[in-house]
Amino acid sequence: MSLKYARAVFAAFRMTYLSLVMDSFFIFATLLMPLIYALIAFGILRDKGAHYGIYVAIGSGLAGLWSTLLFGSGNAITSERWTGTLENIAALPTPLWVIVFGKTLASTLQSLLSMMVSYLLGWLVFGYPLTIAQLPEFFGVLFFGILSFVALGLMLAPAFLLNPQIQQFQNAMEYPVYILCGFLFPVALLPFWTTPLSYVLSPFWTARALQSAAGGTLTLDQLAFDGAMILALGVIYLGIAALLFRVVLRKARVDATLGLQ
Amino acid sequence: MLSPPPSVLLMQRLWINVQLFSQGAVLSYRALFAWLRPATFIASMIFFPLGQIMFFTLLGIYATGAQNASFFLLGNAMQITASSGIFGVTMAIGGERWAGTLMYLFGSPANRLAIFTGRAAVHILNGFVEVLLGLAWGWLLGWVDFSRTDPLALGLTILIATFSTAALGLLLGCLGLITLNIMFINNLIYFLLLLFSGANVPVSSLPQWMQYISWALPLTRGIQAAREIVSGAHVSQVANLLAGELAIGMMYLAVGYLLFRFFEMEAKRRGTLEAF
Repeated sequence: MSLKYARAVFAAFRMTYLSLVMDSFFIFATLLMPLIYALIAFGILRDKGAHYGIYVAIGSGLAGLWSTLLFGSGNAITSERWTGTLENIAALPTPLWVIVFGKTLASTLQSLLSMMVSYLLGWLVFGYPLTIAQLPEFFGVLFFGILSFVALGLMLAPAFLLNPQIQQFQNAMEYPVYILCGFLFPVALLPFWTTPLSYVLSPFWTARALQSAAGGTLTLDQLAFDGAMILALGVIYLGIAALLFRVVLRKARVDATLGLQ
Repeated sequence: MLSPPPSVLLMQRLWINVQLFSQGAVLSYRALFAWLRPATFIASMIFFPLGQIMFFTLLGIYATGAQNASFFLLGNAMQITASSGIFGVTMAIGGERWAGTLMYLFGSPANRLAIFTGRAAVHILNGFVEVLLGLAWGWLLGWVDFSRTDPLALGLTILIATFSTAALGLLLGCLGLITLNIMFINNLIYFLLLLFSGANVPVSSLPQWMQYISWALPLTRGIQAAREIVSGAHVSQVANLLAGELAIGMMYLAVGYLLFRFFEMEAKRRGTLEAF
């Protein structure tokens, strides 16, 4: 990526981050909602033992991460359409995906607060020993997991723009991902036919590896496999995103239907 | 010209208010969903509630075993009424400001109580149906057994809980007349109900200060009554809970209506009717 793209990414990141910090809905999604989920989960899982505290902290944090991504990245382009600025951004010499990348990065990084809040709640309020057994592996998985989340966000943004029918299911897409990715309970509880759906979601592999690393059961084989799945799915999401962005720009330049709802 | 007798005038006025209530109820509901496509309606009314019910019931099954599935299913199916009662009703009231119709509403001589309560009427019906759908999903998945349930008692419980939740929605809707952060408030209250109402965590296991809040909220008594009725209790055995739920709803309705009138007076006095 050339320097001018890096500057555009940073500018989009900075402006989005500043506006998100002041956006009450995002404050709710990144801070309060994971907190409430964590409180409920701690309440339900209290008899499972103190070692489940870290699973709740990670799961609630990932739930907040997904919700923020769903609404933050999902609306990254659509919100421009609502405010009438989409045509201007599409006409810039800077590619549209570069700007969306900066915006997605901002919402994803802000949503990391979710995990920190859930962690602090379990530690300070409930007094759970929230130790992470394999710290380097945990942060390694978290780093690549976030990159994969960003790639997922890049895919959602043009998908929502191109197909309003999908965006209408935005609210309804929160819980199925919590369930399919096993954020707070294992996917083994689900019917067998849902397993392939879990496998194509990178948050599933991220949650699995993070929970294993926290519990100290992450073997080298699992790390390699889960890591490869996270990266491979991230690349696939990016490929689909690239395709969708081309369609978006085609609509802008050929069909002139970009701003239409 | 002779004026009609007072009794006829009273009946005329009553008829006008009934029309105002019923037409306001239907039109505000249609207005809320008219701009949405059927897919959005289905997503909000079927898929979102189903996702929530499944998530928390599965979490409950994982934590406490399949034998407790009905506890979580009933709690969350009942709590689903808040999606209509909180989000729907709040937007039906607060949406007047966004739609630019508030000044016409407050400028009209129409009975304010009929306008105010009319905004919640269809959402109560909507919430009732949502709870039934949630229960039907639970029954299909084998998470609840209705063999000992008195259907009329359960229906009454759902109706009262839906009413009291919609009353809270009316109160929150009034806040939408003076704040831009209504979606924040809506979401916060909706999710706090998940925690405080006993839908997922038994109220008795919450810290004492949280229990005080729980019993001051709608749904808490309704959920408990629904669980007892499904376990085979007669309606007379849960009468106290239902009366309490109804009283809580009436209280929120009264406070909401007073706020509605207060905000109307303040907005007119300050000239901030549609100030953003």
